[in-house]
Order: sequence, then structure tokens, then C-alpha cells
Amino acid sequence: MLQINDLKVAYGPIDVVHGISLTVNAGECVALIGANGAGKSSTLKAICGLVPVKGGSITFEGRDITNLSGHAVVQAGITMCPEGRQVFPQMSTVKNLRMGAYMRRDAEQEADLERMMDMFPILRDRAHQAAGTLSGGEQEMLAIARALMARPKLCIFDEPSLGLAPKIVAEVAATIARIKAMGKTILLVEQNSLMALRLADRAYLFEAGEIVLSGTGEELQSHPEVVKAYLGH
Amino acid sequence: MIEILQQIVNGVAIGGVYVLIALGLTTVFGILGIAHFAHGSVSMFGGYLTFFLVTSWGFPLLLAILVALIVGFVLGMLIELLAYRPVRNANHINAFIVALGLTMMVEGLNLQFFGHEQVVIPTNLSRVFDIGGVTIPELRLYVIIAAALLIIAMTLFVEKTKTGQAIRAVAENRDAAILMGVNVKTIPLVVFAISTALGVCAGVMVGSLFAIAPGIGEWLVVKGFAVLILGGLGSIPGAIVGGLVLGVTEALAAGFISSAYKDVIAFVVMIAVLLLRPQGLMGKA
Repeated sequence: MLQINDLKVAYGPIDVVHGISLTVNAGECVALIGANGAGKSSTLKAICGLVPVKGGSITFEGRDITNLSGHAVVQAGITMCPEGRQVFPQMSTVKNLRMGAYMRRDAEQEADLERMMDMFPILRDRAHQAAGTLSGGEQEMLAIARALMARPKLCIFDEPSLGLAPKIVAEVAATIARIKAMGKTILLVEQNSLMALRLADRAYLFEAGEIVLSGTGEELQSHPEVVKAYLGH
Repeated sequence: MIEILQQIVNGVAIGGVYVLIALGLTTVFGILGIAHFAHGSVSMFGGYLTFFLVTSWGFPLLLAILVALIVGFVLGMLIELLAYRPVRNANHINAFIVALGLTMMVEGLNLQFFGHEQVVIPTNLSRVFDIGGVTIPELRLYVIIAAALLIIAMTLFVEKTKTGQAIRAVAENRDAAILMGVNVKTIPLVVFAISTALGVCAGVMVGSLFAIAPGIGEWLVVKGFAVLILGGLGSIPGAIVGGLVLGVTEALAAGFISSAYKDVIAFVVMIAVLLLRPQGLMGKA
């Protein structure tokens, strides 16, 4: 479904991603793990058209989407739930959700809105509250629901557990597992490697802008290098 | 009591004009962070154009306003494309300089095309209504109604349409708006088109209530920014409340103290409000 070939990303003169290649197949949950600054988030931003691609190619459903502008990537069927949640703070929960369906023109948007509030009952309680007044965990749920409102073919999660209490992290993990069970294709970036590897069918390990290891979630969970450096036990 | 009501009615009319100017300034500031100083002069261009169409080409007033509105739409988009877009990713001071340069250019063009004479848009609206002792000239009443309708239309547009919500979304979080599928290249065009059209309406109102002359544009844009600061930068409700508060304060000051000091008093009130609420009346702290 998504194919990345020899992708290079740079911020000005500083190269951050040095030619990585990876694949996400339809229906899969693929995780990118690795330390802070290893190039995971930059890879995601390059896919979504938020940062320019310096080299290589990104193909989605057979179509070249390298350096497509951000809104065109969404139109193609890729939605990202960004790091730090990035809700619209002064807009209500409901309006945030409706923004998620911004580029849809079908008649089922309001039905989807109801579905999201059934899936995340806390959002119904907070329906008309400004999103900025929600707690971190609630904002994460809102950001996830908002991403689903676009009915994406590929849903990207960038650090969904960052800065959340352990109890909420478990809730986020359960939510992503549910989305996976719905048949959505997922690309997940997480510093919480254990959570990511448990959720993922396959995973790639990033180090200093390169992919140094790949395999199934289970393989990586028991790989000595991963255990030593990232799982800490 | 009647006299207070009378001054409030007078203040609401000019306040409505301030609101229309401030709505344009505040949406532009909200999405691009630009202080669009040329807005007053561009609005006056709209007033001049309406005057010219009515007096020189014999257009009926409403048709002339419609033409000026369409010209305003296109002019707004051209300003965004040609003046502000090239400096979009540059240092903020560049957009500031562009804004100042654009103000001088538009003022110069106004002078070149329409001369330095003071002009009043002829309206033939000379009846005066008396509502419970408060007298309202017909023209002033129509200005209040038109301003109210435009303000309601703008609010509904921003709150109820996808494009309007996208404008808010870009103002609140540009990157997140991109992730929702908002085309951040077209939104500024829409904002400048609508802002300039609202400005043209304000220009027509000033031109028919008072007069248009060189320098009026700068006076109006200073008032517009005062409203923005009073109401809260980037806030649409702030522009509405701030504009009406400024207009009514000026009218009360002129009516009960001295019209020579009305601006001073209005700005003193503004400073007092900002001492209590530095983020503006409707601004978020």
C-alpha cells in the first residue's frame, strides 16, 4: 500500500534521514521505533508533505506522492494523528471532529461523528467544550477520533503515548488495537517501544537516520539488541 | 436618557464601520500574522470607486456598490498573491515593510485616479425617522442594518461553512489544518478577498455618512487596529465587541464632553480596558 524507497530528508544543510526504505501492506500495523532524533517523525512528516523530500520516492497505492502538498496527501487517503495531539484549542470538540472530515463531501459525516462519540464516550461529554480545556488523555482521544473522521486508508500515529500518564497510555494502546481490528492500515511511531512492538505486525528500528533492523513485532521484541537498548530488561 | 440613547445610536453606526474594518484586519492577522496597514486605503479605494461609478458613469448606487465589491474581491486576492505571498516565509519585518509600502502605493493611486478633493457619495436618502424621541437619519439606519447583516453573514460563514472553519483552523494551528486536508495556499486568498470586500463596504459607508479624502484611509486603519487590540488580536467576536465599544465611546464622548476630545477619550478608555484585560476584551489570555 505504502512504499518508501531510499527516502532522504534534510532540514537545511542537516541530513536527518539517510535513504531509508520500508513498506506498509494493506491491513497491516507497522511500527517505527528508535531513539529520539533517529528520523522517525521526519519520515512521517515527509510522507504527509509537511517537510520536503530531498531524495528517494514515496508511493501510495501505486501512485507517486513524493513531495505532494499536504492537503493532496490527505485527499489520497493518508491521515496523520500528529505528535503532541495538535487539536484546535479554541474550537469545540465537535468542531475539531468536523474539521477531521474537512475534505469529505459525502452525506455520512454526521453519522461518523456519532460513531466517534460512541467509540469515545468522553468526547460526547466534552462535545461543546473548547478542545484546549480537555486533559492530555482526552485530547489524544480527540486527535485520534479526528484523524478517523477523514476515513483514511492509511492512518499514521506519531508518538500517541507521549506525555501521557501510564493508565492513559494503556488506553491509547487499546484504542489503536481496536482501530487495527476495524481493518485500518496503521503506521505507528512510538518511543514506547514495548507498546509499539506489541501492537505491530511488523516493525523497523531507526538509528541515526537509518533503518538498522526490521522484522515482525515478536521478532524484534526478543531481539537481543532491541531488548538491551530499547526495552530495558 | 433620550440623549444617551441618541448618542448610542450615533455610536453604533460608526461602530459598525469600525467592526467591518476590524473583521478584515483580524482574520488576516489571525491566519498570516500580518498587520495589513493598507487595508484602510484599499477600503477608501472602494469608496472612491463607488463615488466615481455613481457620479461619472451614472450607475445606480446599489449597482455601483456591487461592482466595487467584486473589484474588492479581486483586488484582495491580488494583494495576497503579489504583495504578501512572496514574503510568506521570510522574516516578519519584510511583511511589515511590504504593508507600509502597499499603503503608500494605494494612497498614491487613490490620489492619482480620484484627485485630492473631498468627496461624498450621493445617496438621496434624506428622510429622518423619529423612534420614541431618538432621531435616526434614514441613511444612518441603513448603514446600521447593512453593517449588522454583513457582521452576521461573516459570523455564519466562519462558524457554519467548511471554508470558514478552515480559516479558524489555520489561525489556531496551521500544521494541524494541513493534516486535515486544508489547502493553506488558497485559504489566504479567500481571507483577503472577503476582508477587502468588507473593507469596501466600510469605505462606501464612510463615503456616504461622512466623506472620503486623502488620509481618511490611514485614520480608519488606525481605528481598526485600536479595535483589534481592544477586542483581542485575531478574535472575530473581539472585533465585533471592540468596534461597537469604540464607536459608542466616541459618540458618548463627543455628545457629553467635547467632540474635539472624542478620540483622546476613546483611547483613554482603551488604555483603561487594556490595563484590566491586557489580552483584550474577548482575547484568550
